[in-house]
Amino acid sequence: MTEITNVSADLLWELTREYILVAIQLQQMLMKWTIPGHQNAFLVKRRTGGGVQFSRDPLNLTNKHSRKYAGFVNDKAYGLTPGKDGSILALKKSKSANKPSKSTSSTSHGSGKSNRSFYKSVAGATAKQGYRADLRGEAVARASALKKANRPVKDSPTPKLRGKKALAKAAASKEDK
Amino acid sequence: MASRPTVTIISPDGKPGEETHPLPAVFKAPIRPDIVQSVHTGMAKNKRQPYSVSEKAGHQTSAESWGTGRAVARIPRVSGSGTHRAGQAAFGNMCRSGRMFAPTKIWRKWHQKINLGQKRFATASAIAASSVPSLLLARGHRIQTVPEVPLVVSSKAFEAAALTKTSAAAALLKAVGAGPDITKVKASRKIRAGKGKLRGRRYRQRRGPLVIYNPEGDGKELVRAFRNIGGVETSSVYALNLLQLAPGGHLGRFIVWTSSAFAALDKVYGSTTTPSALKKDFLLPSALVANADVSRLINSSEVQSVVRPVKGGARIKRQQVQKKNALKNKQVQLRLNPYAAAFAKNKLGQQKREDKPERLPKEFIEQLTHE
Repeated sequence: MTEITNVSADLLWELTREYILVAIQLQQMLMKWTIPGHQNAFLVKRRTGGGVQFSRDPLNLTNKHSRKYAGFVNDKAYGLTPGKDGSILALKKSKSANKPSKSTSSTSHGSGKSNRSFYKSVAGATAKQGYRADLRGEAVARASALKKANRPVKDSPTPKLRGKKALAKAAASKEDK
Repeated sequence: MASRPTVTIISPDGKPGEETHPLPAVFKAPIRPDIVQSVHTGMAKNKRQPYSVSEKAGHQTSAESWGTGRAVARIPRVSGSGTHRAGQAAFGNMCRSGRMFAPTKIWRKWHQKINLGQKRFATASAIAASSVPSLLLARGHRIQTVPEVPLVVSSKAFEAAALTKTSAAAALLKAVGAGPDITKVKASRKIRAGKGKLRGRRYRQRRGPLVIYNPEGDGKELVRAFRNIGGVETSSVYALNLLQLAPGGHLGRFIVWTSSAFAALDKVYGSTTTPSALKKDFLLPSALVANADVSRLINSSEVQSVVRPVKGGARIKRQQVQKKNALKNKQVQLRLNPYAAAFAKNKLGQQKREDKPERLPKEFIEQLTHE
């Protein structure tokens, strides 16, 4: 098995952050220096909104650029993306980090499933199996948002007529009779 | 090192083969983006063509200043009369048809000297980074279908001029899972902004996989096969270039190794203890610690078995808690005054005094009420 032991998740995050504090090896952790211009392909930066930073990573539950939610950096990560025909794909990182084609497993949750049972399976996949308990809230929130997005939008009810218009309508219907 | 990790050699049809190869020592080199970046900046400057404006530009007139007293600025003015040009200001950078400010010269310092040791360090570092899937993803390579990183394809696909056609080369890349990366390159092709369009740099596009081969084992025919696939570059394992290994100074290029090139890496770079066979006086830089995962080090049984127990126990500092009235809340009172327990238990507060209080002396009361 290929395992590269001298690269940790923390180090990867440092390497791919926008301004990195390079902490390459233990001894060098003491001397941190900044190197500007480091980007990653998932990072989205905007000047508006106080310089918000988002992430396009499919394994990111909040779409925020942060260490905790960075799916490509963490050994364990969970993601939810819309699939075909109203289904939702649940992505999960498995152990074989050096085998990209096998490293993420995806499960499709069809639209026929009830919300509760879907949330339960999401919560189970993150927290109950001792995978990433810290992501449970975010995972269920995203699952809920995706479910909501899949629901058809109801038409708003036609407003009831008031005042003169209501009287006119009532009079008109009487005349018809 | 307990056991060297091995890499599966992918057969040309894309399936993991039976053969494996131990990971060359260069992949254990420390990943140093700072060194890679500074070396890349220098190397990127070393292919520049000198340019400058003409030495004569703006000075091809016999202008002289009119001096003071003519109610015009003292800038040199074109002599003579009869044309509109006469009397116009000349030479200065603020003048029409004047020379530019600080005219560019061909003897500008175009090239950078980079220390050989640093160049080798940066190359080794870039190779090491190419084996980390996260860094490849961060660079933007589409590697979701790649069976293994580093991706080593059996040299059987290339031996004895087996691969000469571009269609075969494209099929091979697709079979080993590099298809999405090539598709990404294809989709990214855009017309360049600016004058570069006219100067032979019409399009700009992303970089795809880099195919590294061994000219001794694989031959050179594959170079022609691969060169018309967009974004795909080829390089000999004996002449690796940092500009290809870390384009833009960003680590994590997606590399497709041929198995004979992969096997040659130990010869090219040696290890941290055995010098390289091809590079003079070169030992691979070594990471000072084998495992940089600090939390794993701290939580390891070796460390945990020798540390002293925690003093005082776990305590959580609570912030923004509601203040409790210690006179009403028994628990809070006990925390402040442990004696309160005994005081309440023995009902000391309810006990009557058995001895009567002594009256104050008469003289004392008199003295108090005297004034």
